Amino acid sequence: MAPAPEPILETTDLGYAYRPGRFAFRHLNLTLHRGEILGLLGRNGAGKTTCVRVLTTLLPPTEGKARVLGYDLIRGGRALRARIGVVLQAESLDYVTVERNLTLYALLWGVDRETARSRAEEMLTLFELEDSRKRKPWALSGGQRRRFQVARELMHDMDLLFLDEPTAGLDAVARQRILGYLKKRAQQGLGIIFTTHILHEADLLCDRIAVMELGTVLTEGTPEELKQRHGGARQVTVEFVGPLGADAPALTEMLRRGGESLTLLEEAPDQVSFTARNPEAMVAQISMWAQSRGRPLARLSVREVTLEEAFLGMVQKKPAGEAGS
Amino acid sequence: MRLPPFARLVLRNFVSNLDPVSIAVRFGQPAFVVVVLGIMFTPLISSSDATTGGNYMAFLVPGMVAFQMVLGGVVAGNLFWLDRRWAMVEQIFSGPFLRSEYLAGLVVTTLIFSLAGAGIMLLVALPFVGLPALSLEGTLVVLATIALGSVFFSGLLIAVGSRLRSANLYFTIQAVLQYFVVFLSTVYYPVTSKTPRILAVLVYGNPLTYAVNAVRDAFAGNLGPQDLISLGVLGVLAMAIFGLAALGFRHLDPGPVQ
Repeated sequence: MAPAPEPILETTDLGYAYRPGRFAFRHLNLTLHRGEILGLLGRNGAGKTTCVRVLTTLLPPTEGKARVLGYDLIRGGRALRARIGVVLQAESLDYVTVERNLTLYALLWGVDRETARSRAEEMLTLFELEDSRKRKPWALSGGQRRRFQVARELMHDMDLLFLDEPTAGLDAVARQRILGYLKKRAQQGLGIIFTTHILHEADLLCDRIAVMELGTVLTEGTPEELKQRHGGARQVTVEFVGPLGADAPALTEMLRRGGESLTLLEEAPDQVSFTARNPEAMVAQISMWAQSRGRPLARLSVREVTLEEAFLGMVQKKPAGEAGS
Repeated sequence: MRLPPFARLVLRNFVSNLDPVSIAVRFGQPAFVVVVLGIMFTPLISSSDATTGGNYMAFLVPGMVAFQMVLGGVVAGNLFWLDRRWAMVEQIFSGPFLRSEYLAGLVVTTLIFSLAGAGIMLLVALPFVGLPALSLEGTLVVLATIALGSVFFSGLLIAVGSRLRSANLYFTIQAVLQYFVVFLSTVYYPVTSKTPRILAVLVYGNPLTYAVNAVRDAFAGNLGPQDLISLGVLGVLAMAIFGLAALGFRHLDPGPVQ
């Protein structure tokens, strides 16, 4: 069997304290492999941004260890930073046009002029900024500025990309475009750490997700694992052809016997919906019941738990307080 | 050819932060002072006044040449604060640069500005007072004074700027500092026996005074040991302040500011 690939990022009990005893996050144990996308989710103030700032060497960790791209986080310095890309939460810009910003940033990173020019064209097209190339970035809309931030960071080569809420304020089309591009880059080997409050996009993009709360990682896994582990009930809707009439109380009674995990949501003359943790058995039972009563089904749907529901299930159990203290 | 990191930062400072209008104002304002103040004050000052050499404009020009180091320092402070305000410090610090390279980039930008400014002052004054009779030693003293003074004033403003998190407060401090540094020096007037003692003490407590005096002596061909001592003291002060700024950078949280 081939040995497991070396992780490009590995943290061991990493922590950062603003001052002694006041932690932004602690006991952070994360691993990221080449080509993998790791999502950091959490409420505001959970410690995600500080975590990104520590992992990109902007802040020194106050406890624990980390290796990023083979370098020690504290001693890696310039060599480490030369191989990462960072889109920070705060918008940053230079006082020149969008196009000049892109080429200037590339030159700052030591990309040669020709490559800088051709990449700028590629990014302007990819991020739909061609019409704004001669405008100053502060004259762009919020969504355009965010697209510009991501485009600019992709002007240089890197092995690991940190994105702190890169899609905040973007419309759905722009978001899909960026996510699609990131997915493609990940398939080419780029490791990505990604923070977002849009859980649907984390579900689509991330291979693994770590949920942070109060400065610690509550849980980690693939989106599917998290939904299964923390998602709770799924919603079932059964619609009959025509009203149930006298059969309705019998159906309700059957559902009420479904157990504690089943919650009746809505009853209408021709429809019933409920939530249940494991609704498969109940769905089969309803199907048989309908057949025995000669009540054909018009529609039967089981809606899967969303990552957002799973996330809420996780973080709402934790009381408010301070990170890891 | 790939430029070294700090040279790329200097290039960026010029390309990104300095638009033609602000450059014109930066150099135009002191040039305006040389011409207008020089022309208007010359008739008011007695031609027999030994302290001004009989020509106020000839007295003023070396003062304004030396003053370029302060304006250069202001450029460094502005660049740093604009970069902080627009989160570019944070972005650059997360890139392939050392913090000391960013600082050196600011100082070198300042130096280029100060030297260019000094050249412009000389050109503007040329029709009125001609070229100064600068010896080789004098030229070296002028260049060294401007270089060390630029390091001192840019280091000072960056050190102050790195301690603050409010742009408003920084720009207020910068304006006040600039005001006191220029008016409590010998840029516009000499210290004479008639100068009140308290003002004389304040003027001689200002490093700009020593820089102005050294440049003025070099322009007049009167270089003496006191000028070399002034240069030495300025050098020590410049290194100390630069060290302080570098220390401030080591602990600087480049995160968002007001």
